[in-house]
Amino acid sequence: MNEKTDKKTIGVVPEQAGTLQRLMEAGHFEQELDAAKFAMAHAIERGVGRGTSEGAGTKWHFGSFDSDGGLKAVIEALYPEETNPYRQIEYLINEGLRLFDKGNGQAPDVVGAILAAAKA
Amino acid sequence: MLHLKSLHLSNFGAFKGDQEVVFPEGAGVTAFYGENMRGKTTLLNAIRFALFGRITGRGRRDVSLEAMVNLEAKVEGVRTFEVRLVMTYAGAEYRLTRTARPSAVMTDDYEARYYLERGGHILPPDQARLELERILPSQIARFFLFDGELLQEYEDLLNTESDTGRQISTAIERILGLPVLTGARESAKAALDRAEKDLALAAQGDQKTRELGNQLATLTAEREVLSADLDRHDLALSEQRSRKADIEQDMRRRERMSTLMDKRDRLKAESVAAATRREALIADIQQSMSPAWVSLLRPRLLASAAALREQEATLQAAVTRAQVLKSLAVGHDPDCPTCLQAVNAAAQDKIRRQVELDGDAEHDQQPALAATRRRLDALSAQLGRANPEVLVLKWVTLEGLENERYARQAEIDEIEKSLSGDAEDELRSLRSDYDAVVREIVVLEEGVRVARDELARKSVFRDKLQRNLDKQASGQLDLIRARRDVAGRLYELFDAAVDEYRDQLRHRVEADASKFFLSMTTEPDYAGLQINDSYGLTIVHKDGELIPVRSAGAEHVVALSLVAALQNNAPLRGPIFIDSPFGRLDRGHRERIVAALPGMADQVALLVYEDEMPPDRARAALKTDLLAEWKLERRSARHTEIVKL
Repeated sequence: MNEKTDKKTIGVVPEQAGTLQRLMEAGHFEQELDAAKFAMAHAIERGVGRGTSEGAGTKWHFGSFDSDGGLKAVIEALYPEETNPYRQIEYLINEGLRLFDKGNGQAPDVVGAILAAAKA
Repeated sequence: MLHLKSLHLSNFGAFKGDQEVVFPEGAGVTAFYGENMRGKTTLLNAIRFALFGRITGRGRRDVSLEAMVNLEAKVEGVRTFEVRLVMTYAGAEYRLTRTARPSAVMTDDYEARYYLERGGHILPPDQARLELERILPSQIARFFLFDGELLQEYEDLLNTESDTGRQISTAIERILGLPVLTGARESAKAALDRAEKDLALAAQGDQKTRELGNQLATLTAEREVLSADLDRHDLALSEQRSRKADIEQDMRRRERMSTLMDKRDRLKAESVAAATRREALIADIQQSMSPAWVSLLRPRLLASAAALREQEATLQAAVTRAQVLKSLAVGHDPDCPTCLQAVNAAAQDKIRRQVELDGDAEHDQQPALAATRRRLDALSAQLGRANPEVLVLKWVTLEGLENERYARQAEIDEIEKSLSGDAEDELRSLRSDYDAVVREIVVLEEGVRVARDELARKSVFRDKLQRNLDKQASGQLDLIRARRDVAGRLYELFDAAVDEYRDQLRHRVEADASKFFLSMTTEPDYAGLQINDSYGLTIVHKDGELIPVRSAGAEHVVALSLVAALQNNAPLRGPIFIDSPFGRLDRGHRERIVAALPGMADQVALLVYEDEMPPDRARAALKTDLLAEWKLERRSARHTEIVKL
């Protein structure tokens, strides 16, 4: 994994595109990248480890996705071993979307995730 | 006096086949016991149908004739029903038979026909109609056939502005026989008008009085036109008031629906306002959701930040240690920074050796320290953007709004389910009709006022002309003048008599109603009833104070007292049929009312369910005044038999 170079673009695997779409349709987020970051945080919060996503398309350039580098800093803080933070971010986004997908076509429970985190 | 001898029913409502009730001959009470849905109201309707050809349902709405064919008989092919009433009135026996059957023209419509026999002979239709109208005019039926619902309407008599109250007042004066006197007054007025006309005509024929006669004739013609206008306006006003009262009653019956419609409209307006608030909140939440991911990670980020701070402190301590040792080793600082004692040569040698062993520790640790600080700054910046409490509050607020929205919509849906499109249109149409009638009444009232003022003005002028005529008239006009004077005095007499009689009637009704009220109420502190100009009755406390607001139960007792007093003072006496009159009355009141029934009319029929008035209690309260008891027994849901007990 470490041998790979970090990614310049971040994307969503086709299997999770629908979940991202439903997140947007639910009207919780203004932009897709906000929804993607939320999915990433959900994955982290659920204890997803390091990994890579295969087959993810190109949706965002890392510069626009993480304009101030804050996201990278977070990944470095939470995954100190990770040398390819944007690859990890992409992986976490897709894992977060997968975890949100209950397979019933319903919008992900964003509010439930926020309330659960607030109680934690 | 009207007395019912028997009632014969044939497939009328729940009463399948041919059934008959024979009423006792003497004065007293006949009780009919029947549980709900057994046909007590139908029995009342049978008499109403026989006498007036009408059947009323709940809310006093007319019921279609077709709906009254017994349903079991209908399945067996029966399409008609019939009610026969045998009664005595003014010494003659009448046999009234009314039959309803499908119309010959329209098979889905029903028509009712009747014939009336007197002394065994069938009367011609016109005579039958007149006889029936004489025996029991439909306008006063409310005082003979009534239920709790009808009793409630008497409260309107207290409201002098109410058109329903005005209608009931008119009916009351009718049963009390006032129309005989008002009719006489109108006849006297017509005679006076004719006499004045004759006088004007006669004056025109005399050279001396021709000019006055001409003026009087013109004035009389103008007054005739004005009077005709006034009569027309009065009639139209009376019709519109009656229509307004009907609409008011209809609207009152649909009050629940009206309330529901108002509630639905209010909920819809609230929905629109809530939708605007919701949209604004959603837009706000969308903005707040941009950094929401940090809120989700806040606990982890806080833990990471704490670890980084620890790491920063360790690294900083190592760098500081290296810097101090280096400074002491080269002798830049002669004193120990910790104990502030001078460092001796031996100690300095030891420090130098240690520095050599450590190498360039300060230089080695600086990059790690800088990297730790960068990460810490980045994390702190992210954490600074997160405000999970505010975010949660916004979501909870939105959830609350959503819940309200669903609840509101569910309520709207529920209301709309109970509001059929037709019923809603009818109510809208009623409201629109009501507004139109009220506008029309205002216009007519103004027309009446103007016509009256004009008539009064012309009357003053007429009096002046007549005085002049009296001075100038020759003896030829004496007879005509005398006739006019007699007609005038006669009119004044009847006019005063109407007021006097009305006043006396009110006092008699008040006294009798008070007597009945005191015999029926269980409240010892009440002294009686006070009547107003519209025959509305108010309870009087024994300390003289009026009781301004009364309960539904008290309303029933007051209404029954009024009906009893009217019966006692009416020239036209007859049987009274009372259907479930007890409403929310307690046992004490029920028993006292039952005991008072024989005093209300010679023939009283009481229709009750047994829990309302158990037979043993009715027997105890009425004793020998209870002449007969009947029971409405269930045979099936669509078949009731009237059984004599």
